[in-house]
Amino acid sequence: MFSRSPLSLPTACQGAKRWLIAAVLCSILLSFGQFNRYYLGVAMDVGINIILAVSLNLINGYTGQFSLGHAGFMAVGAYTAAKFSLVFAVAAPEPARPVLFLVALVLGGAVAALSGLAVGIPSLRLKGDYLAIVTLGFGEIIRVIVQNLEAVGAASGLKGIPKYTTLGWTFALASVTVYVVVSLVNSTYGRGFIAVKDDEVAASSMGINPVRYKVTAFVVGAFFAGIAGGLYAHHKQFLAPTGFDFLKSIDIVVMVILGGMGRTASVALAAVVLTLLPEVLRPVSEYRMILYALLIIGLMMARPQGLFAFGRRAVK
Amino acid sequence: MRKGIGMSAPSILSLREVTIRFGGLTAVSGLNLEIGESELVGLIGPNGAGKTTAFNLITGVYAPTEGEIRFAGRPVTAKRPHDLTKLGIARTFQNIRLFSSLTVFDNVRAATQLHRSHGVRMALWRGAAFAAAEAEVERGVMELLEIFDLGRVRDEIATSLPYGDQRRLEIVRALATQPKLLLLDEPAAGMNPTEKAELMRLIRFIKERFKISIMLVEHDMKVVMGICERIAVLEYGKKIGEGTPGEIRKDPKVIAAYLGTE
Ligand SMILES: Nc1ncnc2c1ncn2[C@@H]1O[C@H](COP(=O)(O)OP(=O)(O)OP(=O)(O)O)[C@@H](O)[C@H]1O
Ligand SMILES: [Mg+2]
Repeated sequence: MFSRSPLSLPTACQGAKRWLIAAVLCSILLSFGQFNRYYLGVAMDVGINIILAVSLNLINGYTGQFSLGHAGFMAVGAYTAAKFSLVFAVAAPEPARPVLFLVALVLGGAVAALSGLAVGIPSLRLKGDYLAIVTLGFGEIIRVIVQNLEAVGAASGLKGIPKYTTLGWTFALASVTVYVVVSLVNSTYGRGFIAVKDDEVAASSMGINPVRYKVTAFVVGAFFAGIAGGLYAHHKQFLAPTGFDFLKSIDIVVMVILGGMGRTASVALAAVVLTLLPEVLRPVSEYRMILYALLIIGLMMARPQGLFAFGRRAVK
Repeated sequence: MRKGIGMSAPSILSLREVTIRFGGLTAVSGLNLEIGESELVGLIGPNGAGKTTAFNLITGVYAPTEGEIRFAGRPVTAKRPHDLTKLGIARTFQNIRLFSSLTVFDNVRAATQLHRSHGVRMALWRGAAFAAAEAEVERGVMELLEIFDLGRVRDEIATSLPYGDQRRLEIVRALATQPKLLLLDEPAAGMNPTEKAELMRLIRFIKERFKISIMLVEHDMKVVMGICERIAVLEYGKKIGEGTPGEIRKDPKVIAAYLGTE
């Protein structure tokens, strides 16, 4: 994203914010374009999946944890933001709506981040498979809670969510997500995430607090999953608890793995490819899921280091 | 309490009756040890004697079952490793533990960060203060790398370096935490005689230049006897001898347990 060359750290620092501003402005311009409804919908799916994959990559890729709870965090954000809009935004005057939408999204992100903290702290003593199971359990608990909560439509789903999500919102927030993750990791502070992944004992002997880093990764990752959830809610206008089951988490994990675990740009690219793939396969709809699965297996076997991971360097 | 021999400097580290048991095995047993300021102390003994375990106790990887550890005048028993590093204890590992997906430069950089306060907020804002702090880090890291002749490989993946370079890089990384006490666990392992001679020069140099105390675990007696001012000998977790290299060489208990008759 930013200067890949580590030749000089200060120059790598500068310009990053300018990139972000440019990306956000371009996204806003996109909002004014006229697009075919179908393509528009797919494009927003792409943007939302970029947010999900890039944020999960901070947890699973850079910090080396194995979370299967991303759909759960997404659900928390989606329901929180949707409920907020249904209560406050729908009755509000037109000009106030973008502001209220932003509030809804950030609120969804914040509540998701809190749940990230709640899951993160007790589970950090666990590693690998055990952490995966706990986060999986968390996702299922969220789904069951939502399924029984009348206030958010319970099993029949939450209907009538206003359609506030636009291409502009989606890609502006995707740009912010990429910026945050890339900036965090590409700093002296951020090398700690990778150090913790590589060797926790060595990291703590170098003065790095592994728990601090893992919790930070969980909270930041969950926050953006919550944002993605809010965008999703105001894009689909309908939320069903079944949309956030563990298969959704697996989808996001696959994007991260296919992106090479820990390269933001290639993880984002993998999110694009894996969102478009089922759409491209639509003409052969009967075999779609089988083909999709086979393609993923094939890709992983052909490029175990990640679809877009070139060269020997794992992380710069 | 047994006092270390030749102890004139105030002690920076002291272990009192430190014991650790793993199930039925007592890996370190009632260990008393004092390390003076700017002192270079060797810790030797046969395989499985408890040398690495002693390092793990001092660096907080394990908490002792019994006993007390004091560092720079304060009790530090069972403090967490990263807190001890902040207080000034750094180490290398017997089995090299470099960060395998980071470059040489970034391995050292990751170890400097505890001395900088710029955390999440500065990294995200990327303002002038951040650029200045990062420039400072880069300058410091490069200076260390150049001293140890590793500047030329700064952008190589650390674990792709030759073995001897990896050992030296681990020392550089430990120094980047700005320690008062440096623990080296078998730094000469796997080195050829030339590299070993170079390493001895290097350890002496570190002691002079950074004015720190060093504890050295090493099986190569040429290295240990050549540079240590004082040596403690462990066997089955117990200290069986302590003294200057000359004294240790003549100690019948040490000869029987470890040195043998050459
Ligand atoms: N975490 C642990 N759990 C159980 N036993 C352990 C543990 N760590 C060390 N030990 C045991 O404690 C004893 C001392 O081991 P230690 O690694 O400290 O020896 P050492 O003196 O460093 O030996 P070497 O010269 O081979 O490195 C050994 O018998 C070892 O098996
Ligand atoms: Mg050992």
